[in-house]
Amino acid sequence: MGVKTFAIVIALTIFILVLELIRRQKMTFKYSLAWLSVSLTVVFFAFNENVLFGLAKRVGFQLPSNFIFFSLLVFFVFLTLLLTLYINEQNTKTEKLAQSLGILEYKLHRHLEGKNPNQQDKQN
Amino acid sequence: MPDSQDVLIIVPAFNESRSIQKLVLEIRAAHPSYRVLVINDGSADHTAAEAQKAGAKVVNLPYNLGIGGAIQSGFKVAHSENYDVAIQLDGDGQHDPKYLPNILEPVTAGKLDLCIGSRFLADRDGFQSTAARRMGIRFFSYLLRLLTGVSISDPTSGFRAYGRKAIRLFAEQYPVDFPEPEAVMIAKRHGLEIGEVPVKMRKRFGGISSIRYFKTVYYMLKVTLAILIDLFKKRG
Repeated sequence: MGVKTFAIVIALTIFILVLELIRRQKMTFKYSLAWLSVSLTVVFFAFNENVLFGLAKRVGFQLPSNFIFFSLLVFFVFLTLLLTLYINEQNTKTEKLAQSLGILEYKLHRHLEGKNPNQQDKQN
Repeated sequence: MPDSQDVLIIVPAFNESRSIQKLVLEIRAAHPSYRVLVINDGSADHTAAEAQKAGAKVVNLPYNLGIGGAIQSGFKVAHSENYDVAIQLDGDGQHDPKYLPNILEPVTAGKLDLCIGSRFLADRDGFQSTAARRMGIRFFSYLLRLLTGVSISDPTSGFRAYGRKAIRLFAEQYPVDFPEPEAVMIAKRHGLEIGEVPVKMRKRFGGISSIRYFKTVYYMLKVTLAILIDLFKKRG
């Protein structure tokens, strides 16, 4: 099996896998976008080698393979950054939720205390 | 007229069941008209029950948020229940309630929005912390003076009084971990009046400082970076 076929098979497998994950609602479109676009890019370059070679030369890489490795590295760096961002988002949200839960419970207690039949004031 | 204003005393506590009751009783004995709100920051022990027994109101956080998230819950309560002043007093007993009126006074008098109790202004016979920590504190003090022009001798002190403006601001945004020095920066950025009064601190009743070993390095880096980054945030 040639390198080219290999690349196409891997890329298409990832593409289909991600689509299937979306279909099963294990992944939302928002988070799958990076994966879908990269696997499609790989397929595109596999069928259009000349574009890939030209692009590598133009940005100054001696070997097209170096260009491919470099691009992958950049992709993963950004993906990691994106994931860190998502984790942070989740962190902030859960923290707010935890605070709201604690405060809600506190207010409920105060409210119930106010409605305690042993106390004279039942208006609140 | 401190008596005519509503004061909420926020006490963050994480696994302080051995000392929290003593502290709450001490506060309530000295200041019966103020409400004491213990923020139980996901303690694994009986902190909440002990605090309640002593007559405090308790906010139970479902898991440990750290001091910043805990204190912010207190600000949110103070803001939604419309308190005039909030006092922050740590749950480990380091902050002597005796000095509460000192940090309260400038805020109730309308002179300051954020008043910090400093252990370095008084005649130095209270608990002064270790030499290494004092060096760190001095560094932050210098950094804050350089960047904001405000001279704070004890920027890591968590013995503080907050006026309405500060309560509203911090209910909305407050640093997550090791928040004290950074909070000064945020307050300054939003045009709050910040000042200091002398207090004496005690050795904690029990437990150990949360900032030890590798954490001290992280603490220094995080706070320095946070203060510097805050410089580039939008003005309030």
